[in-house]
Amino acid sequence: MERTFDKCRTVVEDIQFSSVRAWKEAHPGRRAIGYFPVYVPCELIHAAGMLPVGLAGAGDRLDIQHADARFGSFICSIVKTTTELAMTGHLEPFDGLLFSSICDSARNLCFVLKRNHPQTYIDFLHLPQNPSSPATVEFLSDEYRRLLAELERLGGSKISDEAIRNSISLYNQNRSLIRQLYAFRRQSPHLLAASESYVLVRAGNFLPVEEHTAMLQTVLAQLATRQGKRRDSIRVLIEGSFCEQPPLELIRLLENAGCYIVDDDFALGQNWFTEDVDTTGDPVRALSDAYINRSVYSSVRHDFRKPRWMGLADKIHRSSADAVIFLIAKFCEPAYFDYVPFKQKLEELGVPHLLMEFEEKLFTFDRIRTEAETFVESLIFD
Amino acid sequence: MPQTVKSEYRGNIHQQQKDLMLEWYGRLAQAAEGGGPPSVSMMISGNCVELLEGFGAEPIYPEINALQLAIRHQSLEPILLAEDMGYAADNCAYVKADIGCYLKGITPTGSKLPTPTLILCNFVGCNTYLKWFEHVAKLTGAPLYVIDVPFMRADEPSQSDLKYVVAQLKEAVQKLETLTGRKFDYERFRDAVRCSAEVEELWSQIKHLSRSTPAPFDAYFDAITLMGPLYVYRGRQEGVEFFQAALDELRAKRDAKQGVYAQEKYRLVFEGPPPYPYFRTFRDMFAKWSAVAVASTYSTVGGLWEFGFRHDPDHPFESVARHMIAENVTNRNYLQRYAQIKRYVEEWNADGVIIHFVKSCRLFSCGQGDMRDYFSKQLKVPTLYVESDLEDPRYFAEAQTRNRIDAFFEAMEHSKLTAARTGGVQ
Amino acid sequence: MKTAAGVDVGSTQTKAVLITENGEGRVVVSRALVDTGANVRKAAERAFDRCCQDAGIAASEVGFVVGTGYGRYNISFGHAQMTEISCHARGAQFLCPGTRTVIDMGGQDSKAISVGEHGEVLDFVMNDKCAAGTGRFLANAAEVMGITLDDIGPLSLAATRPVKIATVCTVFVESDILSYLAQGKKAEDILAGVHMAIAKRTMSLARRVNIEPEITMTGGVARNQGMVRALEEVVGRELKISPDAQYMGAVGAALFALEKLDESFESAGWRKEHAVSSGN
Repeated sequence: MERTFDKCRTVVEDIQFSSVRAWKEAHPGRRAIGYFPVYVPCELIHAAGMLPVGLAGAGDRLDIQHADARFGSFICSIVKTTTELAMTGHLEPFDGLLFSSICDSARNLCFVLKRNHPQTYIDFLHLPQNPSSPATVEFLSDEYRRLLAELERLGGSKISDEAIRNSISLYNQNRSLIRQLYAFRRQSPHLLAASESYVLVRAGNFLPVEEHTAMLQTVLAQLATRQGKRRDSIRVLIEGSFCEQPPLELIRLLENAGCYIVDDDFALGQNWFTEDVDTTGDPVRALSDAYINRSVYSSVRHDFRKPRWMGLADKIHRSSADAVIFLIAKFCEPAYFDYVPFKQKLEELGVPHLLMEFEEKLFTFDRIRTEAETFVESLIFD
Repeated sequence: MPQTVKSEYRGNIHQQQKDLMLEWYGRLAQAAEGGGPPSVSMMISGNCVELLEGFGAEPIYPEINALQLAIRHQSLEPILLAEDMGYAADNCAYVKADIGCYLKGITPTGSKLPTPTLILCNFVGCNTYLKWFEHVAKLTGAPLYVIDVPFMRADEPSQSDLKYVVAQLKEAVQKLETLTGRKFDYERFRDAVRCSAEVEELWSQIKHLSRSTPAPFDAYFDAITLMGPLYVYRGRQEGVEFFQAALDELRAKRDAKQGVYAQEKYRLVFEGPPPYPYFRTFRDMFAKWSAVAVASTYSTVGGLWEFGFRHDPDHPFESVARHMIAENVTNRNYLQRYAQIKRYVEEWNADGVIIHFVKSCRLFSCGQGDMRDYFSKQLKVPTLYVESDLEDPRYFAEAQTRNRIDAFFEAMEHSKLTAARTGGVQ
Repeated sequence: MKTAAGVDVGSTQTKAVLITENGEGRVVVSRALVDTGANVRKAAERAFDRCCQDAGIAASEVGFVVGTGYGRYNISFGHAQMTEISCHARGAQFLCPGTRTVIDMGGQDSKAISVGEHGEVLDFVMNDKCAAGTGRFLANAAEVMGITLDDIGPLSLAATRPVKIATVCTVFVESDILSYLAQGKKAEDILAGVHMAIAKRTMSLARRVNIEPEITMTGGVARNQGMVRALEEVVGRELKISPDAQYMGAVGAALFALEKLDESFESAGWRKEHAVSSGN
């Protein structure tokens, strides 16, 4: 199992995207589509016979030498490292790049890349922000069909509804396994570290879904017999890391400081639906309906039918978390805005919380370690 | 020898504009007392003020409140209050100033503002708008409805985009009927759309006046001052009268070859919002060089009308939808903004582009380095990049900004003189 | 023979330069550097007077004086002002012919300038908001490590395993440095990391303008061999550095002043300003 985690980590941290290149070599003529966080309907890409790859910048593995010339100060690192990847040829294996309406910075990034890579298919999905309108499901279905048309043009062949339904089934299965994994962590956090689960789940952003599903099944089976000692750690929920990702060392650091990370939003895009997507009837409409009506709460999606802070309260309850750590990327506007009502809700509920800012590129962790340890101590020795 | 120039336009319309805005705040104060019309909070970008006319409702524009605060040097205190509450240093200062006002119970003019009958969030590009209005809804308890306007990801809005927005506009109408207890007056709405079309024609003609040399007004600093009535009175006869008066006055200046300065030296296109807390100071830095703005992107946030679009009273809902989707700078994509600026440089005959990066606003500012690359390196248009904030007074470095501006104009001056000497263009 | 002067009043140091021009050409005849201190006017006067003394030229023989730097409006004997951006470009093109890009790293700010063949400014980018890329960053790092500013450059060249410094915030780099020291890393390796971080940051911003050879480095930090080496590594080229790198602003100012003495020649920057009383 450790070898699986190591393999996953290698895949996740590889900014040469070797696994993607290898897949393309093994499947000549087929395409890879990279997508920026948070959510994209991977089923449609898969149904087109293409490999959907979830991008998340370059972490701490690439020096920003060119991106600063295009983006100024006060912009989150993931926008810059993604630009740097594009400007240094690292995104060469991708035949298309997809962005969506998550925030102002990501949206502008899409079009800056379009200007600089006019030959690549780069598209922007307008994911709806008014889910309570009766017109929304139809709009999103139209938007998904627009994407399908582009994928058909790119891939050269038509995508049937049957193919989409099939892809939905596969992704339903994958998501179900991820949910099981998260449930396992909530149940037995001493038997599966968050940092292990993290690389395992995120590997799904790079591997074909079939391969990832098999991997998850194997690990879940192995976990059933894993042994481990319970530690005197506090149960913590991580909120705010849905786009730019913290370094793996940071996640480990929090665990070592005395936290069981029993829930998080690191892999929000892969965990997007609360239940299976319908596989009967019009599959595009089913995906659209799932996005509108069966999505988890998120800082990048407005849905006042149930405000996000209520969703956070539910999540805390479901995971029996003792505390919340808001782990927010520097300059992440959506996360920082949500912090205010989230904080208010937690104060109302009497749940302790800590705000920690991070950047993808962190090499020394002393400050953060001290903060985390102090927080944990304050809860244990209360 | 150049003197310090009185660079702002102070004609009759300046006073008229002030009066109109004060009257508007007065009506809102009345509504706050309970004796006035229903009120609807809206965002400036691609605003659908015409819809409100169907209910006789007054718009509340938190952005106008925020900028008023900054201009009066009152924005820091509410910003600090909001930060105490938990807002980050990196959150948009417009939002912080507005929320801070709620917390403190103050308004920019000192007169009361009503709790809105409806918070109508026109999500037109700016994701921050969504958060802003969610927080206002939470604070005030007023109902919130979001009009989700599809972003311009192609050259033209699709039928699906238009259909979606029209459907939501009609839902908003239904909501307002329930909340106000008034029936939507379709004819009054159509009249408002007709008024808008007239105002837009006048405004467009005003914008085109600055194609002349010398430009009779500053299309950044003066245009911003004229924008208030554009957003509050666009759907009303008073708006038509005001902009007719403005056009007459400015056209007379144009005909008399009266520019903003004694001798116009440089013509510029401005990108980005102004540093409201230092509006005057910033303006003077350009006045020193007799540099006038002939066009600006910020003056098109509410609507982009100089290239021909007009609301259509024969298709009121559809044209309102089209305006919100495609005919304002914030919902248009970054490359369309480049094209807009390029068009200004060419057709308004500008010497250079000023990019004002503001810390608060990623919609405008994220990627301006690439914009600079496009204009300076690709098109070889002299471009200046300056940085501050639109609302927070702590982010303006006067000496450094002045230095950059002076260096830019020294280079332009040198370039002009060299060209004159060598008898050709650089 | 014509004599002109340039005075560059920076926030920490004030530099003056005298240039003469005769049939054979233009020559820098003297240069002076003083600490600016609290009284900007006096600093400008001291630097100018010392320059005249060294050259054996009376102040009255100096035909024209151009001031530059942040304190340029506070030179009582100045005739005109130019920004240091224009002056560095001009000066660099004069002292290092063929210059097409200037990288200036001063005490308080840094900049990159794209220069035309006549020394004109085509484009520029300023880092005037924070210490990263400036002498101040290096001074802070030196202080944290208990090493003098003059020594950090040469010491960094002795590095065998440079550390990686991620932050360019002068406040945070202190804790990074302390962290590495606690881990037992060698001073030269840490310094090399610091220099490289600054070099990368500087070039990262500089790329907003066209980086074209010859690339000339100006400003006080040009005396730091470690910084020069780091920049050359990032840029992938040798940098041109004049012995007068620190005086480049004043040299450019003096060149502009010389132009003013040629009456048949209308040149830029002819503008007498009143001293700005605040905010400068």
